[in-house]
Parts: sequence; C-alpha cells; structure tokens
Amino acid sequence: MYPIWEGLFIHSAMYVAVVSAFHVLASHLTVAAAWFNLYLERRAVYENRPELYEYLRRSALGLLVFAYVFGAMAGVGIWQTTTAANPRGISTLIHNFVLYWGSEWYMFLIDVVGIIAYYYSFGRVDPKTHLRLAWILALGGTGTLAIIVGILSFKLTPGLWLDTGASLNGFFNPTFWPQIFMRFALMFPITAAWALLIVTGMPKDYPERESIIRNAAALGLGGLCVALAIFIFWYYPVMPEHAKIILRTRAIPPITYTVIFAGIIATFAGLLFAFLSPRRQRRLLAIGAMFVLFAAIFGAERTREVLRKPDIIAGYMSSNQLVFNDLPARNIVREEQRLNETGMLGSLPFLPRPEQVILPANSGLPNQTIAIGRTLVVQQCASCHNVSQQTAITAFNQRLALRSLADLLYLRRATTADLIKSRIRAIGGFQYMHPVIGTEEELNAMAQYLEYFVQQVHPSQTQTVSQK
Amino acid sequence: MNMTVGEMLKMMRDPLGAPFYPPALQVLLIVTWVLHIFFVTLALGSSLYAIWGFVRPNENRLRLARIAARLTPNAVGLGIVTGIAPLLFVQTIYDPIWYASNTLTGFWSISFIFVVMGGYSLAYLFYLKGSPDGKLLWSAVASFILIFFAGWIMHVLAAVSIRPERWIEWYAPNGIVDTRGIIFHAWNIPRLVFLLPLQAGLSLAVALTLLAWYFRHNTDDAPFMQWVAGVGRQLGLVISPLYALTGLLWAATEGVEFGIGWQTGTVLGAVGIALTVYFLILRRPMYDAPRTLLIWIGTLLIVGMVREAIRAVSLARFGYSVASYPYIFDWGSILVFAGTTVVGVAVLAYLVMVIYQSGGAKRDASISPRVDRLGAIATGMLGAWFGFFLLVGLYTTLFLK
Repeated sequence: MYPIWEGLFIHSAMYVAVVSAFHVLASHLTVAAAWFNLYLERRAVYENRPELYEYLRRSALGLLVFAYVFGAMAGVGIWQTTTAANPRGISTLIHNFVLYWGSEWYMFLIDVVGIIAYYYSFGRVDPKTHLRLAWILALGGTGTLAIIVGILSFKLTPGLWLDTGASLNGFFNPTFWPQIFMRFALMFPITAAWALLIVTGMPKDYPERESIIRNAAALGLGGLCVALAIFIFWYYPVMPEHAKIILRTRAIPPITYTVIFAGIIATFAGLLFAFLSPRRQRRLLAIGAMFVLFAAIFGAERTREVLRKPDIIAGYMSSNQLVFNDLPARNIVREEQRLNETGMLGSLPFLPRPEQVILPANSGLPNQTIAIGRTLVVQQCASCHNVSQQTAITAFNQRLALRSLADLLYLRRATTADLIKSRIRAIGGFQYMHPVIGTEEELNAMAQYLEYFVQQVHPSQTQTVSQK
Repeated sequence: MNMTVGEMLKMMRDPLGAPFYPPALQVLLIVTWVLHIFFVTLALGSSLYAIWGFVRPNENRLRLARIAARLTPNAVGLGIVTGIAPLLFVQTIYDPIWYASNTLTGFWSISFIFVVMGGYSLAYLFYLKGSPDGKLLWSAVASFILIFFAGWIMHVLAAVSIRPERWIEWYAPNGIVDTRGIIFHAWNIPRLVFLLPLQAGLSLAVALTLLAWYFRHNTDDAPFMQWVAGVGRQLGLVISPLYALTGLLWAATEGVEFGIGWQTGTVLGAVGIALTVYFLILRRPMYDAPRTLLIWIGTLLIVGMVREAIRAVSLARFGYSVASYPYIFDWGSILVFAGTTVVGVAVLAYLVMVIYQSGGAKRDASISPRVDRLGAIATGMLGAWFGFFLLVGLYTTLFLK
C-alpha cells in the first residue's frame, strides 16, 4: 500500500528496536523514579530530613535531561521509525487509538511541565507545595503507563475487538491487566539502578547515601520478584497459544534468551549486593547496571514484538501490511484474497505493472523479471527480513543482516529458483510465517530474484543466474 | 499502476476510518501545531541569539545570551513534546500523504530524532558548561545547525506529502523501486525561510518582551529589562517586513503552484504588514508583552490555516478531502479523551501557575491561596482519573461484549 523503506546499512526493524528499547528504559524510569522520589520527599518533609533534598535535586536534574526529554524524543523516534518501517501497522493503531494517545499526551505534558516545575522550584516554594508536585509527577507518569500499555498489548491480543471493532475492547484486552502491573513492578529495578547512579556520584560523606541505596535496592529487588511472579502466574497463562509456540521456535534466536536471563540474574545479584553492602557501591557499577538493563529490555522488547509473528496486529494484519481477516463490525474486507486473484503488481499503489519496468543499464539487476521479483520480495518480506545488500554490513569478515533471506535459503539448500519457489509456496505452513501473496508468475519472479540474491551473498554457488 | 492519483489516495486511507468527526481533528491539528511551532521557532531563535551574544559581546548582550542558552534546550524539549499532538492528528486524517512522504524519505525520517537529540545535547552542553564563561561556542553553533536541519527534514516531509502526483516517479523511476529513502525529493525555500528562520526571530522577539514583562517589578534589573524589551521590539520591527516579503514569495511559488497564489499572498502579506505596523506603534514593549504574545499566537494560527489550506487544495486536485474522510463515533475514545482533557487542563494550569509564581524569586516564593486551592483540586482530579480509568476498564472487561 505504501512505498517500502528497507533501511540503510541497518534493517528498518532494528532502528525501531534500538529506539524503542531506549524509550522503554527512559520512560519506565520516569514513572518509578517519580514514586521513589515521592517516597523520599515525604520522608524529607514528615521526618524533617532536609539532606534528602540534595539527592532529590540531583535526581530531578538527571531525570529532566535524560529520562523526560530524551525519553520524549525517543517516543517521537518510535513514531518516526515505525512509520518508516511499517506504516500500515502504526496506522491501524492510530486509527483505533488516536484519542487514547491524545489522552496520553496530556499525561505526558503533565510529566514534562511537571518535572520543569519540580526541578526549578526546589527551595523556591514551600515543602508542601513541592511535595504536591512530586505527587503530580508520580500520578502523571503512571497515567502515561496505563494508557500506552493498552495500545501496546492490543497488537498481540486484540481480544474482542476482532468481533466488536470497539476501541475499548481492543484497549482493555486479555493481556492488558497483567502487563500493566508487570511493567509497573519492573520499573523499580530500573529506578534502583538510577538511584545508585545518582547517589554514587554524590560526596562520600553524604549522610543519606546508605539509606537511599538500601531503600532503592530493596524496592528494586521487590519489583523484580513481583514482575517475575506476574509473568509466570498471570501474563504467560493468558498469552495466546500461538505466541507460546513462537517462544519455542527459531523466530527468537537463543542469544535473546541468554541476554534476558543473564540480565535478570545480573540485576538481581547487583541489587542484592547493593542492599547488603551499600558502602561498597561505585559509580561504574551503576553505569554497568544501566547497560545490563538496556540489554535485557532490548531482548525482552524484541521478544514481545516477535511473539505475534507473522502478524503485525494479531488476527487482523500480517507483517506484509495487508489485512487478512474480515472485520465485519467495521465493514472491513480482507485484502489478501483479492490480490491472490488479481496479482500484486498494478493492484497496489506502489507496485508497478510488469510492462512499466524498463531496466536501465546501471540498475545493477540482470533482467526485468529479477527486477520485478525484487519489488515483490521487498513488498512482502522486507518488513522482517534482510532482502538485499542495502541492509547488510560487513564487520570483521562477518556479514551482519537481520534474518537474511539469502542466508536462510542457503542454509536450507534452496539455492535455485525452482527450489526457492516450492519453498516460498509452502512458507505459510511455518508458525511464524505468512503465506506469500500473488499469482504464479509473481511467485516465479520472486523466486528468480531470491536465487539472484542468494548467489550475490554466497557466490561460491556454482549456479549462474540464467538470463530468463 | 493505471489507477489515478485520486484512486490511489482513496485506497491508501486506513479502512478503519477516524474515531471522531474528521474536521474536528483538523482543528485540533492546527491548534496544536501552533503550540509546537512556537516552541520550535523559539528554540531556533534563542539558539541563534546565544551564539550572537557570545560572538559580539557587550555586558547586556552577554547576559541575555546566557539566558538564551538556558532557554534553548528547554524550548527544544517543549517543542518535541508539543509536536506529538499534531503528529497524532496528521496521521489520522492525512495518513496516505504522511506515511507516503515518510517512507519515500525514510532514512531522513528516522534520522530526524537522532538529529534532534544531538541538537538538544549540544545545547545543554553549552548551557551547563559553556555559557558561564563563553567556552564551547562550537557546541552552540553545532546545536543550531542540527536543530535547523531537523526543521529542514520536517519541511521536506511536508513538501513531499502534498505532491502525490510525483510519488511514483520518485519511488519507482522506470518501475525500479528505490527503497533507500535518502533523497530530498521536494522543498520550497520561501516557505522554509518564512516558517523557520523568520518565525524564529519573531518568536524570540515576543519572548524577549515577555521576559522583561515577567521581571517588570524587579527594580534592580529595570534598565536591563528595558533594554531586553527594546531588543525584542527592534527584532520584531526588522523581521516583520521580511516576513511579509517572504510570505509573498511563498505565495508566488507554492501558492501559485496549487492555484491559490493571490489568496495566500494577500493573507501572508497582510499579516506581515500588520505585524510591522504593530511593532512600529508599540511604545511600551515591556508592559504590552501579553498583548504582543496574543497577537503572535493569532498570527501563527493564521499561518497554520494557510498551511492547511495549501495542503487541502493540493489534495483537492485529486478529490481527497478531510470532510469526506470516513469516520465513526467511537464512544470509548471520546469518553477517555474527554475525561483526560478535563483533568489534564486543570493540572497543567496549576503547574504553569506554580512556575509563573515561583520563577521570579530566588527562594521562598509565595504561591497564592487561589493557586494552592487549584493545586489541591487538580491533584485530587488526577488521583480520581485512575478511579475513572479503572471503572471504564472493569466495565469493558466484565460487561462490554
């Protein structure tokens, strides 16, 4: 439906993943840090411990610069990257939930204006007023979380929305409740790492140092345990069966689990160490903890995104950006069936008809069929796979590319157009793959391009591309 | 590909339609864009002034440059946050053109945020480490360039979006698709100059008069603040005629291209001339700053409508209009948005009042009882919002089948 942006050097999906992971880290931090700071500020006010304000001031400046503003920018970055990578997926979300996002925007404005008011009014307003600002920050941050979780969880479990078409059913979907509590709990380990980062940067003789480290570590450990318990006993059981199967397939590389589990163990051990030995905490450890958390979040968020493969919106739209199921409640008819009959070329706005393809001498492609095949492969596969040299980089003699079709086909010994064609014809049989759309001629063209691509990447193959 | 551009645009619309009356979303788009462009142009203007103040220093200029250096990152932050709302609404009612321009320019579309992050970081670096002693001026210059470049990217995205008749030629010349998204396909220099550098100067001019007004009761600072307000007026006076002239050039190029040359020329020219006259007769820039702000916001609103008119006529050529965009009344969306709007406005009003009342004092500022009462109510409303949210959620989960 739209032009495809494959990515440049790096696959478009990886841009989304990196920006999203950073956004999750920053935005989760703002929520739980606001609650932790509220807790400390209450103690400062009601137990008359003014020393705590020094920590709060430093934490607030860090949050203002790093978490709120960079978090906000990364939030916009998610819009930009998802729009470029999969516009129709984000379009479905926006047309369902634009006014929920508008509501989140209010909460977000409260957060950003709130942190400015909070930071710049230290010592300028009376303690009770300042404490109220802390309350507003904590509540506003939690409001943003509450709203965004409904939209995020919709993608995996649209629930009754598939029948009613009502946004409320899509929003309060089967995984909404466990996910909101799980994420809320998970924010506290991030906050604990943040508190460590801030307090270890303060003078050694700062009187509240140990108390803050212990409190933050305890909260972080508690949050981590609660989050794991929610995942095991609440979130996992309500996950769709399909997603549970995907978890055990090769769609999620083993390294992802290694990163996630290692991240959880390292976080647990680090927080326990902080709780038991607050005096031995160093800034470098805290920075390391933030990196560990980033890696674990990256792995977890990638896994969450892959769980619903091959759909971009489970049960409604597949990764090729086409609607594959009717939605009678909204008068929507599936698009794929028609395209199988008419063919993709010329039926969608940015897919030229074969006769419109005129191969210039400098195109780098051997013939017209391969050029047409490339267009179709890009259209149907580029959302998840590396389909050309454009999104691959070579480092230390290693070709780095996201789920490269050239590599996958080569590994499965499907290196000729015929073998590739039978392979892609049967691809819908895999749990994490969607059937290829198009006519017989279009499948032929796709197979020829993929043969050409395999030989580009693995030139040791003896076959030569025939000038068909 | 034998389909017409009109058929193509229609097919590209999301089948779900909008969840509310589309012209109302169009109004929200314009209004929130005004807020966004004010902060973005203010960031550019203050960034440029900070550089100027350190390059050609005198006592007052240096002091103001430090204030500008502090203002820049905050304005960038607010520009980003306020940019989210128009981004939401443009995707809803103009999805075909927004998504097409973003994919056609994919590399720059995703680079945008890294460019802004770089600009923001350097602006903060200059404010924290450079501006006290005038060091690290390079970071201020680099920050300005990056923020301006981010503006250029957004300008190109807008320019590409209103020229759907050329998308195919840009995406698939000779039928061969180009999926790199690295080419800047369209732009209009008068429009860019009008919307960014000139409006940056005017937003800064308005902000300077406001700064002076805010500290008007501080007698120790009176000479400096008088000077600041005067700079604001002078800036407005110099830029406004250029604004009128560039507006005419914008009308003569893009306006004419889409068949509304004289209409846009009349409006933009008149706005520029009216601003010139206003700054000319502005005798007390410090005390009349709130009125100046109102006039500037009104001007931005008119410019927002002109932008919208250009977009509308460019798409009307192919039968696309917001008024005919399919929609339903999605009551869940409306309920959540309306409830949050009431709470959000109350809390934001309180926060702005706290910033306003505490900003002038070094310490122990007094928050008026009225604002304090507003704070108690607004915080209570924010707490109650969770009850509302929970109730809606439980009702949906248990009863809405």
